[in-house]
Amino acid sequence: MDLVDLIVEKRFLGQEFLTWLWWKSEERGGSIALPGEGDIIVVFAKHMLLESGEGDSAEKLICTGLQAELREARTGLQMGKKLEQARIVINHNSYEYGFTLAAALMEFRNVRLPKTAESEDDGKSSGNEALEGMLLERIYLFEQLVKLVHTLFSLFLSVRLGSTWPVELMKIRTWVAQADHAGSSGQ
Amino acid sequence: MGLVKGTVSFVLFFVEGRLPDNPLEFIVDRVKSFSFRDIDDTYDEYSPGWVSVHNMFDSGFTYASCVVGDYITLTLRVDERKVAPAILKKFVQKEEERVRIEKELPKLGRAIKVQIKERVRSELIRKALPVPSTYDLCWNLSASTVLFFSTNQKAQAVLEDYFKESFGLLLRQQIPFTTAERLIGDEQLAILDSLSPELFV
Repeated sequence: MDLVDLIVEKRFLGQEFLTWLWWKSEERGGSIALPGEGDIIVVFAKHMLLESGEGDSAEKLICTGLQAELREARTGLQMGKKLEQARIVINHNSYEYGFTLAAALMEFRNVRLPKTAESEDDGKSSGNEALEGMLLERIYLFEQLVKLVHTLFSLFLSVRLGSTWPVELMKIRTWVAQADHAGSSGQ
Repeated sequence: MGLVKGTVSFVLFFVEGRLPDNPLEFIVDRVKSFSFRDIDDTYDEYSPGWVSVHNMFDSGFTYASCVVGDYITLTLRVDERKVAPAILKKFVQKEEERVRIEKELPKLGRAIKVQIKERVRSELIRKALPVPSTYDLCWNLSASTVLFFSTNQKAQAVLEDYFKESFGLLLRQQIPFTTAERLIGDEQLAILDSLSPELFV
């Protein structure tokens, strides 16, 4: 199957991952245990885009607001929509990454890297060595973000492709069904 | 805003194919051969090429090398002369009218209309200034991955073609399914392949 067909036919995989990640991040108040990495904080905030259907019958729902006010997004889940885009903040080893993940193509949009001593310097240091150091640090941080998202994706895949998926699915369905209640309590 | 500074968007590619035994020498040489060529003083319509990530006018990489540690950092610069469709339409209609009156015809034939459109387009393109677009990339040689700092699909298609032309290597965009193929074990590939969408309600 070529890439264009894969993008269309397997579009659901990234969307299921993002929806699962939203549930997973709320399961323990934002904390997710990563194998070999310990706990990281994953927070969904401010912006979400939900989608259902394909082609002409596709429906989209854009929700913006603070974390507790994403009631419409939660209602969207109840209507069978899945998360296509979400603004996520990840805290890992005192570094905070902000980015919007577009699920179908796994695009990292509007990535805000953690502040570091080098980035605070804001180009005041000059010379090739300083430039190279700054560049290498940014590359390291971009790759760390990709690695963290891939580790979360692996965690999802191990459940989604494994025997425990029906149990996990029941938990997600229960969470989705409680969405109205949770949304109301957030107001 | 890109690899060097600011808030950015990016996608991940995997590099497929083999580099020669002296990869850095080969890459630096190819970057030089496929570096950006200015078209400001020519009538060329389109020019893609590599420039430094620090300065889009540095196509000779005199300011900083494209090799940074185990990474190749490049900016793909594409200069293109463009004519807005509304401008093209206006000048084509103007010229059609001029020719029709000159030839004393009630109506122009299809063939002559095509000729006029092509001629007017060429003239307008020659007058248009090249518009530059730049897209950064970071190539991790040990992991064979490329971070491309644009989510524009047209730019991604240009990158795939020009990367292949420059280095003889294929870029495969990593979408969730292809990423999953690389993350899971062989025994799970068949399960992944047969996976169908799940209802969360």
